[in-house]
Amino acid sequence: MIQARGLRRQFGRLVAVEDVSLCVPAGTILALLGPNGAGKTTTVRMLAGLLAPTTGEATVAGYDVRSDPAAVRAHVGLVTDSPGLHDQMTPAAYLEFFGQVYGVEPRCLQDRIAELLDLFDLKAVARTRMAGFSRGMQQKVALARALLHEPSVVFLDEPTAGLDPLAARMVRDLIVGLKSGSRSIVLCTHDLDEAERLADTVAILRRGRIVASDTPAALRAAASHASLIRVSLTAHRPDGLAILAATEGVLDPRLETSPSAAGAVFEYRTLDPERTNPRVIAALVSAGVDIVSVTCTTASLEDVFALAVATEPAA
Amino acid sequence: MTALSARRPPGEARMSWLIARRAAIESLRDRLTSLMSLFFAVVLPLGLLVFVVQPAAARSAESAIGGMLAFYLLVVGLMPAISAVGIAAGQFAGEKERGTLTPLLASPASNLAIFGGKVLGAILPPLAYAVLGETVYLVGVAVLLGLARLQSIPVATGFAMLVMVPAVTAFAAIVASLISSRVRTFNAAQQLAGLVLMPVWGVLLTVAIKLPDWGTGALMGAITGLVLVDAALLVAAAATWRREEVLSQI
Repeated sequence: MIQARGLRRQFGRLVAVEDVSLCVPAGTILALLGPNGAGKTTTVRMLAGLLAPTTGEATVAGYDVRSDPAAVRAHVGLVTDSPGLHDQMTPAAYLEFFGQVYGVEPRCLQDRIAELLDLFDLKAVARTRMAGFSRGMQQKVALARALLHEPSVVFLDEPTAGLDPLAARMVRDLIVGLKSGSRSIVLCTHDLDEAERLADTVAILRRGRIVASDTPAALRAAASHASLIRVSLTAHRPDGLAILAATEGVLDPRLETSPSAAGAVFEYRTLDPERTNPRVIAALVSAGVDIVSVTCTTASLEDVFALAVATEPAA
Repeated sequence: MTALSARRPPGEARMSWLIARRAAIESLRDRLTSLMSLFFAVVLPLGLLVFVVQPAAARSAESAIGGMLAFYLLVVGLMPAISAVGIAAGQFAGEKERGTLTPLLASPASNLAIFGGKVLGAILPPLAYAVLGETVYLVGVAVLLGLARLQSIPVATGFAMLVMVPAVTAFAAIVASLISSRVRTFNAAQQLAGLVLMPVWGVLLTVAIKLPDWGTGALMGAITGLVLVDAALLVAAAATWRREEVLSQI
């Protein structure tokens, strides 16, 4: 569990993070989005007990980041865009070293390392020096290191940066696997698709401030004036527009394509697709219309992001 | 896999030792550093014996040979110890460049444990090579000059020279680590550390030549003073070092 209120961090005259408040309950993933220099990494470093906030307060895994940063660091796992591995060490030796640093019981450590090597499919290279590892493999070792002490909070700062698409997908799959009933995860990313797929909540940072924060669906809905619905029919119905216009919640109904033997497509907008769409479908079906498909288009997270970072934050 | 309550991290001394051991192993694995150190620990003492000490001993009065042999004991010990500067420079600035420092900074290790561990890790391998170099030198003296010449080394002076090697190595490693933790690149750390330490080495060797003339009390005083300077410098360096400063440079 992470709770932060009014976090602020200043480096000299530069205010890197300003008035950041957030809550990440156990078992959820928060994605921190923002352009370069928005304050994502500084926020993560404050929450991970690496940087003291200039003002504000935060508790991470039950420990205060200001008064007990060492305890915070002992209870969190951190993965950055750079895996930070020692090339001349083997994954087994590297994990053993960090297991000792985090105080994992010696009698449990080897079992834990074996479990993680197995989980991340690294058993075959456990005794191989990491110098020749691909970025994907290095990031797996970094993830294993971050999970070695079974932290209840994990920070992933651009974990898929620089990875090829396949390796990035593999890391994303692993992140989904990390989400358990008791673990809070903060994910910093530039990849909006990644954020949408993985995160329960998204916070968009701009110039150190959170300018939007909610579930991806809610953010998209808020950014959409109205959802655009497309209804494909097997054949054109002259009364189609009238049926749509008579249905509660339907806005701007129109025939999208010219009627043809292949069918017809109607479009309408609605502010409440969850209620309106079932009504439309019921009305069309009761009128004997054969529906091929109904698709709903709302604003993408990319639209939300572009809108949020383009808007001047409130003073 | 479930998130469990966190473990208890080790205490300061154990944590420092863990960090030191890993740093030492890493530097021992560096082939270039190892080759250089082996050169200083084996080839240099033998060369010094054959080309400098042996001819000098042949020319010197018998009473002066013991002091000269003791002085070269310090020289032989300090040569491999010079690599402590390079290792220490790599501990912070080098790791910053390679991006390997962040995981350690993100761990529960305290500032003192990280700094102390890094310094110790920079000292241990050079000291191991220094011991090897001094052993090669002493065995060489016994073989090339005879056991009687070896026994002519004054005990107090010889002891002082032996103890001075770790004390001076520690000083060099602390200064280099301090500089390394405050600059961005390995090159900058190494050059700055060299610039600061060169005059110190010069003064030290001058003092070392004079030490036997000052008597046992002065010898012990000099050693105690150097150890105290090391301890004070280590505490001051660890206390003023901030992981935030290091992080801000990454």
